[in-house]
Amino acid sequence: MILPKQGESVLVQNMTGRYGRLHTRLMLDYGTNVAAGSAPGKGGQSVEGVPVYNTVAEAVEKTGARASVCFVPAEFTLAAGEEALNAGIKLLVIITEHVPVRDELRLVQLAQSKGASIIGPNCPGIIIPSEKVKLGIMPAASFAPGGVALYSRSGTLTYEIAGQLTGAGFGQSVAVGIGGDPINGTTPVEWMDFVQGMDSTKVVVTVGEIGGDAEERLARHIEKSRYRKPVVAYIAGRHAPKEKKMGHAGAIIYGDYGTADSKIRALSAAGVKVAMTPSQVPALVRQSLG
Amino acid sequence: MRLFEYQAKELFKQYRLPVPKSVLVNDVDGIRGAFASLTPPVAIKSQVLAGGRGKAGGIALVDDPTEAEREARRIFSLSIGGERPNSLLVEQAYPHDSEMYLSVSLDRGDRAFVAIAASAGGVDVESMAGKVIRRISLDGIDAAFADEVAALLKLPQDQASQFVAILLSLERLAREKECELAEINPLAVGKDGTLMPLDAKIIIDDNALFRHPEFAKLHPEDEFEGEASRQGFAFVRLGGDIAVVGNGAGLVLSTLDLVGDAGGNPACFLDLGGGAQQERIEAALRLVNRLPGVDRILVNIYGGITRTTDVAAGINTVLAEGVVKPIYARVSGAEEDEAQKLLAGTPVKMYKTAPEAVEAVVKGA
Repeated sequence: MILPKQGESVLVQNMTGRYGRLHTRLMLDYGTNVAAGSAPGKGGQSVEGVPVYNTVAEAVEKTGARASVCFVPAEFTLAAGEEALNAGIKLLVIITEHVPVRDELRLVQLAQSKGASIIGPNCPGIIIPSEKVKLGIMPAASFAPGGVALYSRSGTLTYEIAGQLTGAGFGQSVAVGIGGDPINGTTPVEWMDFVQGMDSTKVVVTVGEIGGDAEERLARHIEKSRYRKPVVAYIAGRHAPKEKKMGHAGAIIYGDYGTADSKIRALSAAGVKVAMTPSQVPALVRQSLG
Repeated sequence: MRLFEYQAKELFKQYRLPVPKSVLVNDVDGIRGAFASLTPPVAIKSQVLAGGRGKAGGIALVDDPTEAEREARRIFSLSIGGERPNSLLVEQAYPHDSEMYLSVSLDRGDRAFVAIAASAGGVDVESMAGKVIRRISLDGIDAAFADEVAALLKLPQDQASQFVAILLSLERLAREKECELAEINPLAVGKDGTLMPLDAKIIIDDNALFRHPEFAKLHPEDEFEGEASRQGFAFVRLGGDIAVVGNGAGLVLSTLDLVGDAGGNPACFLDLGGGAQQERIEAALRLVNRLPGVDRILVNIYGGITRTTDVAAGINTVLAEGVVKPIYARVSGAEEDEAQKLLAGTPVKMYKTAPEAVEAVVKGA
């Protein structure tokens, strides 16, 4: 995965929609170089002074952007994602919620064949405070530059924990919401390997929730790969009922599969410090840094 | 969206999968007629979405109409995982020697659909011995794929050809109807070697329902769930007395944990969604205010894109309507001082942190 540097051009897909407009402004306010947008049939318009093109290919050609933030509605996300990946986008951030799982799988396969990365869908995006790069919808005020790499399956919980970390003096090297769906464009394991290579990251905070076995897989990976950076985790949903989707499409326990207890046990056994509430996270980060 | 067994079996029939002869009845009065149309023994099966209905006594095997009526009455009175059966599937029993397992499901970790088959069925798929797992292409499988699975299961020739037909049909159903899970457990092997699906479990990808209008009106909706879904809230009823409202699924989930740890009983999970506006807060508070069993309301908002002043204004509007149960609120984030000023002097109890608000709402202080 290649993350944009400060000042690097990025695109917004469906820039002329309500969320596209709002977040184009907020990303620009943060200092991110939103250089162009795309929206079929809206070529020639502009949003916040940023030119809009009919296609991603045209926007890429004009700006050289390699990253795109996609605000296209779920029904059309597959087509929009394919358009971006085929136009040479290497980092595709899909904010959209409610994308069908088979569409997500098709996009993941296409990204793999193109050597590209997807973040999301159903996520707040990614923020790199030291580079003033924000590709997504997170509130900038919760984040500050620092040494914590934060990733989460949930949006507001990311903001909450980032806000508490920032308040306690722990800024973030990078923070990402990987998405609340059963399928993530970038998996926790891929993400953990990526941040291990970031010099600016001193400690990793992972925020998981009920559903699936991503955290169990992560725990095995931390053990097997002898992960070199300290890891702190928080898992939401210890009191969630079974067989009920808890807001996120991916947050569901089937039988004994996907419980918070199973995840907490696996992570603890792998040497991860597990917080029982979001407010315990900063103290565990402090402990990890020694 | 999970389908009832009888709905899943209707789909099976559309896809030419074999199913035992059956009749659906909605009350005890219908049971004798249904029984008479079948040859004893007959299975009476509660139609519920909750798991573990067999253990809960939700299935009975009967030999005569009087017994059928008695068992039907008993099953209709059961609460299975909190769910009362609205209908029973009265089904021809299928005498068999052994049971197999077959499913097409999403493997989240491997980011692929997989076929799972085992020649010995069982309750727990995870621990099934000798199971075969094969990745399925998004474009489907062919007969060679199904043949290979049958060969790995070491099925005798006559069973293998039936199995191949069943796997091909089940995979086509799962793909065309965009199921997260299509499962036959058990797949019975009759005394003459005929394969017969005895139970059918289907979960449709909720996010794909826009491509499948045929499923739109399949479930009778709870009044409150219907209202929540029209408003675009994620909403789950939980049966307790503290309504839990917040913005963002993870944040609300973590608030439920705090309430549970403090010994409280949540009445519901309500996620307003990101970027919630004032009208949405108002709609949510009106909804939980009239939800049966709710005694107090916990609001946990971390304002980012959601403006905390909008939240405060929304709370004030519903307070002015004079219909609201005690509200305990933690409203934090951008413009929080302004929001707190808006709520000063109102009956709303305000807290700086989520744990403080939770402690207070659980005590009812």
